[in-house]
Order: sequence, then C-alpha cells, then structure tokens
Amino acid sequence: MALCACSFPAIVSCCAAASEPQKSTPFASHLLGGSDLGFHPLLKLNQVKKRSGGVYASLSEGAEYYSSRPPTPLLDTINYPIHMKNLSVKELKQLADELRSDVIFNVSKTGGHLGSSLGVVELTVALHYVFNAPRDKILWDVGHQSYPHKILTGRRDKMHTMRQTNGLAGFTKRAESEYDCFGTGHSSTTISAGLGMAVGRDLKGERNNVVAVIGDGAMTAGQAYEAMNNAGYLDSDMIVILNDNKQVSLPTANLDGPIPPVGALSSALSRLQSNRPLRELREVAKGVTKQIGGPMHELAAKVDEYARGMISGSGSTLFEELGLYYIGPVDGHNIDDLVSILKEVKTTKTTGPVLIHVVTEKGRGYPYAERADDKYHGVVKFDPATGKQFKGSSVTQSYTTYFAEALIAEAEADKNIVAIHAAMGGGTGLNLFLRRFPERCFDVGIAEQHAVTFAAGLACEGLKPFCAIYSSFMQRAYDQVVHDVDLQKLPVRFAMDRAGLVGADGPTHCGAFDVTFMACLPNMVVMAPSDEAELFHMVATAAAIDDRPSCFRYPRGNGIGVQLPPGNKGVPLEIGKGRVLIEGERVALLGYGSAVQSCLAAASLLESHGLKLTVVDARFCKPLDHSLIRELAKSHEVLITVEEGSIGGFGSHVAQFLALDGLLDGKVKWRPVVLPDRYIDHGSPADQLAEAGLTPSHIAATVFNVLGQKREALGIMSSRN
Amino acid sequence: MRCGYGLAALPGTDARLFSPEPSFLRLPRTVHPTRIKFGSFKIRAKIGEARKETSFYDMLGISEKGTLPEIKQAYKQLARKYHPDVSPPDRVEEYTERFIRVQEAYETLSDPRRKALYDKDLALGLHLAFSARRRYQFDEELEDQSEWRNRWQTQLSELKRRSMSRDAGGNMSWGARMRRQREEQSKQV
Repeated sequence: MALCACSFPAIVSCCAAASEPQKSTPFASHLLGGSDLGFHPLLKLNQVKKRSGGVYASLSEGAEYYSSRPPTPLLDTINYPIHMKNLSVKELKQLADELRSDVIFNVSKTGGHLGSSLGVVELTVALHYVFNAPRDKILWDVGHQSYPHKILTGRRDKMHTMRQTNGLAGFTKRAESEYDCFGTGHSSTTISAGLGMAVGRDLKGERNNVVAVIGDGAMTAGQAYEAMNNAGYLDSDMIVILNDNKQVSLPTANLDGPIPPVGALSSALSRLQSNRPLRELREVAKGVTKQIGGPMHELAAKVDEYARGMISGSGSTLFEELGLYYIGPVDGHNIDDLVSILKEVKTTKTTGPVLIHVVTEKGRGYPYAERADDKYHGVVKFDPATGKQFKGSSVTQSYTTYFAEALIAEAEADKNIVAIHAAMGGGTGLNLFLRRFPERCFDVGIAEQHAVTFAAGLACEGLKPFCAIYSSFMQRAYDQVVHDVDLQKLPVRFAMDRAGLVGADGPTHCGAFDVTFMACLPNMVVMAPSDEAELFHMVATAAAIDDRPSCFRYPRGNGIGVQLPPGNKGVPLEIGKGRVLIEGERVALLGYGSAVQSCLAAASLLESHGLKLTVVDARFCKPLDHSLIRELAKSHEVLITVEEGSIGGFGSHVAQFLALDGLLDGKVKWRPVVLPDRYIDHGSPADQLAEAGLTPSHIAATVFNVLGQKREALGIMSSRN
Repeated sequence: MRCGYGLAALPGTDARLFSPEPSFLRLPRTVHPTRIKFGSFKIRAKIGEARKETSFYDMLGISEKGTLPEIKQAYKQLARKYHPDVSPPDRVEEYTERFIRVQEAYETLSDPRRKALYDKDLALGLHLAFSARRRYQFDEELEDQSEWRNRWQTQLSELKRRSMSRDAGGNMSWGARMRRQREEQSKQV
C-alpha cells in the first residue's frame, strides 16, 4: 500500500522498540512527530508482535489500547466550553480523540457507564462548540452518557470521584453544576423538560437555544411522544437530537449474544437509515420544479414537499406528523457534519421544533467495547489495555440471580407463569428466564406503565404474570398498579428489585418509597425477604397467591450465605405470619426485609452489654401478623420497627395497628427506624447506610436511647469504625 | 452506522482499511507495519480462491437451522482446534487458513442481521465471502454516507425556506405568537 511506503525505515527501527506496549507513548510521538495529529486510538499496539510463520491472530494476547493515559495537550487547555470557541474543526477532531481516551481512563479507575459515553463524544464536542452553555440549555436524557459533557464543563479534575461518596453524580444533577440544566436518571424526560424550558424562555422573551439529547431506547417510552406531540402543537423553537445507536433495549444483549432491537419503532428507524432514495426520482422532481419556476412558488413548494415525502424514509413522517421537522440521518461520529448542521439550525430563526436524527455507535473508539455484546454499557473498574473488568468474587450470588432462578423453578412446575420486564433483562435477571423460556418472557421496552397493564391483561386470561420492575421505576407505573391491578384485584405479582438504598446510582435509582405506596393499597399483599432463602419462598408464595395482587421487594447486593431450598424451589409461606429469630426480653426489634440482618447485627453488638434482644422477621407488611405483634407489645418494654424505606411504610402500619388495638395505651414504647426525610446522595452502600442512620450501631444506639441509657448510646456511636 | 468491526478483528488486516471512518482515510497511515499487511494480503488471496464452495454452515459443521448456542459451540470447538498457537507445526498455514475462515463464519452467523443477509444470499445461490461482502458493504456505506449528506443538506435548505414564511400572519400556533410578540418588543426597544 502506498500509504506505508514512506515509513519503512521508521517502522523497521521501531518494530523492535515497540514490542512492549507500555512504551507506546514515546513510540507514537516519535513517529507522528509531535502532537498535531493527535493520538488516534486506532493505533494498534500489537502490530509488531513477530512470529515465525508470518501469520498471527490476536485472540487474547496483546493489548489493543493504551495501558497508561496518553497525553491530552488540547484537552488540557479546555476547562469550560468557552475555551473551545476558537478551535478549528481539525482541532475539534483531535479534542474528540483526547476526550475519548480521557473518558476511558477515568471510567477504568472508577467504574460507571462507558459505552454510551463513548458513543456521544463527537456529539458532545459539536454541541458545546456550536452552542453556548450554560445560557443555551443542553439536556441529556438519562444522563449516563454525560461523562464527556462533565469533562468539558469544568469537572475534569473531579472525574476520579465519579459515583463515589461526595463525588460527581453518575447522571446530570442541577445542584452539581450550572451546565447540568436538568436532573436525569430515569429515561425519556428531556423532551418534556426541554419544551418547558423553551416555553419559559419564550414567555420571558429571551433568545437562547434549547437542545434535548435523547436515545432511541428512551424513545420507546410514551412520555417522549407526549412531549413531541405537545412540542409540535406549541411550535416553540427547540432542537431534539435523537441519538440512534440501534440499541433499543438494555443492556443491549442477552446471555447469548447481541440482541436485535425490540419493538416496531426500531425497524422504522432502520428503514430511515437505510432508505436509498432513487436519485433519478429526486432529479426528476427537481427538474419539474425548475420547469414550473417563475411565480408558481406555491406549486413548486408542493412538488418539493411531495418529492421529499417520496425520498425520505417512511419513518420520518412519524416525527413530521407530530410536528417536528426531521433532519437526518447524520453520521454521529463526523464532527464536520455535526457542526455544520447544528450551526445551520442555530442560525435559522423561527424553526419551531426540529428533530435531528444522529446515528452513533455505542462504545465507539474502544475496541473491547465495540466488540462486546453489551457494548460495555455499565462496567466496574477495568484495565484499559486489555479491557478486562476487575469483578470482585463473592461466595454468594446477587439477589437478582436468585430471583431469576427461583422464577425458573416455579415456571418449570407451572406453565402459566410468565415474566415481564421493561428493557431491563440483565438488571432484573430475566435474561436467564428468557434463555430457559423464550416464549414466556416479555420485554416491552422502556414502558413500565404498559408493562403493568399488559400484565393485568395477562392475568385476566388466567396466566400468572410476574412483573420485574425496579422499585424506583415502579413509581412511573403507579396509577396502573392502583387502577388496573389493585382496584380490580387482578393477581399480578410485582418483583421489586433495588429496594432501599442502591449505592453508586444515587437517589435517582433509590427504592425508598415502594413499601409506602404498595402497602397502602387495599388488596395488595406486601412482603419482603430477609435473606435469599426467604426470597425463594416468597417467589413461591407469590406464585401461589391467585386471587389478589402481591409484591415483594429485595435489595441490591449479594445474598448472605444461607442454604438454598433444594432444586431452587421455595415453599409457599403462610400469609400474614412472621417468624421469631431470637427470643429475648425487654426490647424487641421487628425488622422488615434486609433490615433484619442489621437487627441481628445490632443484637449481637448489645449482647456484650448484657442485653438479650428479641429479633423478629416480620416477613409481611400486609397483612400484618397481628397476634405476633400483640405478643411482642405485651411482653416487652420497647418495640422498635426497622426498615429500609421511607416514612409511611412498615413502621407506620405497625403503629396504626398498635394504636387501633389499644396497645399503645399500656406501657410499651414504640419507636420507628426508617430512612430520613431527605434524599441520600450516591456513595458506597456502607456510607449511605451510615448517612441514613440504619447501621447496626445506629439501631443499637436507638435501643439504649429508649432505655434511657444515653451514655451507652453515645459510646456505641463513637466506637463504630 | 454499520461499522466493519467484528469480533476479534485481525489487526493490520483490511478490516481497518474498510472502516468507513473518513478521518482514517485522510491521515497518512505512517504507522502501519507493512510486513504484516502483505502477509495478510497473501492469506486473503488464498482464502478468496479456496473458499468458493463451502458455505459457512458447512464450515462450522452445523445445519442451516442451527441456533445461536449451537453456532457458538461449534465455533469454539473449531477455534480451539485450529488456532495457530496449538496447531501442529507442519500444518500451521493450513490450520490458520481454516481458523480464519471459521472466524469469519462465526462473525457472520452470530450477528442476527448479517446472518439474515447471508441466508438471503445463500438462498440466491451466491456465497459471498466475508471480505467480498465487506468490500461491498464498504462501497455501500460510502454511498450511504453521501446519500445521507445529500439528504440532510436538502432538508436543511428546506428548513431555511420554511422558516422565512413561518411566522406569517396566518400562523396562530402558540410559538408563532410568542415569537411575533418578542420581535415587536425588541423593535420597540
């Protein structure tokens, strides 16, 4: 190839030197002669492995990326978007490359969302170059692709604290920076918020731009259409950027390989991309309008319109019908194209709502991510050179996996059991169920409301639907739970994963409210397992409850290591009965769900102080075990209810019962331990529990406080590490 | 955008050359070790010749109705057998060829979209070798790109044209009214 002819001597001399990839930096800069060409991540470091026989294949050996951070001379000069304004397009490309490597190295140290951020590097650079944040509003839907945005807007030096206690949030957050104009975390909200900002701007008479970036996955949610419909009607100027990477479902793969996108929308989008208009047809149309010419502007415009309708993909009419002007598809990794389009749209006055269809590739620029089935959507710390993630090893598996196995065991026995999830096959563990029962697992896209009512419809036909939706995402479907399921007493089972505090994802994904909003419904059975064996039993119990809806919640994290029931098949529990774990005196700890483990730990802490507590696992919040609670109230001085939920949940139901039963008129003291009345920021699970006041030490200190032993309470709190 | 990156792409092969990234094409690739490139050319040429008859399914030893796990299993077995590192030294060339072919077969058959295309071609009686299809794809993609560019340029000019007359008296949408109000206010100021 002529390309390489001139570099022969350079190659030969560097072949030997570059056999260790660690020397890549001097090697590359020596060859490229300075930094004007930037560090192209396509530079392959294992090209110079020599092997006799001439042919080699790189399966697992040899790094395909840098192992140490390459220098980023241009990015180092950019602290805020305003510093980018004088760059040329060529420099913007170099900036994009440097930004990409920065993202990879930052995420490799902290973990986080990698694939999505890599896909929008060029888009981020183009947006900040053309628009003037923070006056111009740029909104990122879901926010997990905002890492390049954060780097460019003054938070580069804090990227090593991403998703950690007191560090940067993993999603956009208004309190963090003025460049984050809207807090995100759940999907499909940015068009709505962007429209609100556009209308607010119009009412105030100002002239800034509003840009909402939304992905094709988030487009499967109804709210996006509600927003577009309204935007088309109001005709306010705003730009919606549809970031299409053909990954309409999370986590973009099931266990066996890449998944073709879910839903009819994705095929419409693909048609848009692949539609190859007949050039001749367009030329003909153009010719016709030319001939008409003159004063026949109206007619010419109509013909133009027809021609556009003929040549544009059949999917664009969807957006056009909603009232958004469609532009695209555009190569999302070509900064030239992006900048010119954005500039054009920005300088056009009175556009109304415009939708720019940008096509990107998730994980672009990092070979391991591009090849991975899940495109490295969410990763833990990894080694940049080899792409290997440092997954911790644990004796037990996650509650998510246990749930999936329990459901599979139930479904083996009962062919009416089906599972529904909303684009979270990996997160809910239902990918395992899908592999075993491909015809009985339904992924509806990011549409929780539809998932619940769909499950209700299935229940009408006598099937046994299990709806696996995160506790936090269930909030979206609340009316459907109340009106479509509970009111009609349909036996839909809700499996709420990620209940309680969730660690690095922060308050946007925290499942604090599900006990409150589920237990107040008249017909719902509400239960929570305290360990993984209980989870198996509760799945069996839920499968057995066939006359009313039921739900159970379980936390993020791994099991504690109890023995599982044989064959993964649980035994249905007696509804409305708790169990006493430790018999004691004076003080009773009534725990619900995973909080029971904290109660047990608190009890062992207090044993050394001479107190033997009673620890009870309530199992059911609704119906409560009335006889057990009466028993506890009559034989103890203090009753403390503990749960990892907000006010209005388990503790409130117990208090209500105690009051109505006259038990509070006696001598027992009831105290609740719940999540405090504020949002707990992201951080490590241990830090979050400490912040929330739900650690075993806190519970033990509460016991001492109620007993009047304040000094011992202080002692416990100050001696915890 | 369809990208030419498959699973475990052989570095230095024309997989990179066929990537549709325009910046790649413009930069002089001073860093390519030519020796490796020539080697791969030879291999590819050989493969091109020898590969005319066997279909990917035959190569993997599965039926045309094979499911993805079956394909994966067959690939893993054959890859382990034919990998250059574990092949007997006198048959490295032959084994490596087969390994590369098996690799291509797996790449095509494991991606549902490519598998669909391949099945279609097979039904028509064409067995397009992987690299041939890549070349075809590349041309397609180049053409796609320019089609895309033409399309959005047309759309942009249409947008500009529309915006001229957008807020004419007849348009009573909320946004149009607000824009007119804003214009009048700024004129007064």
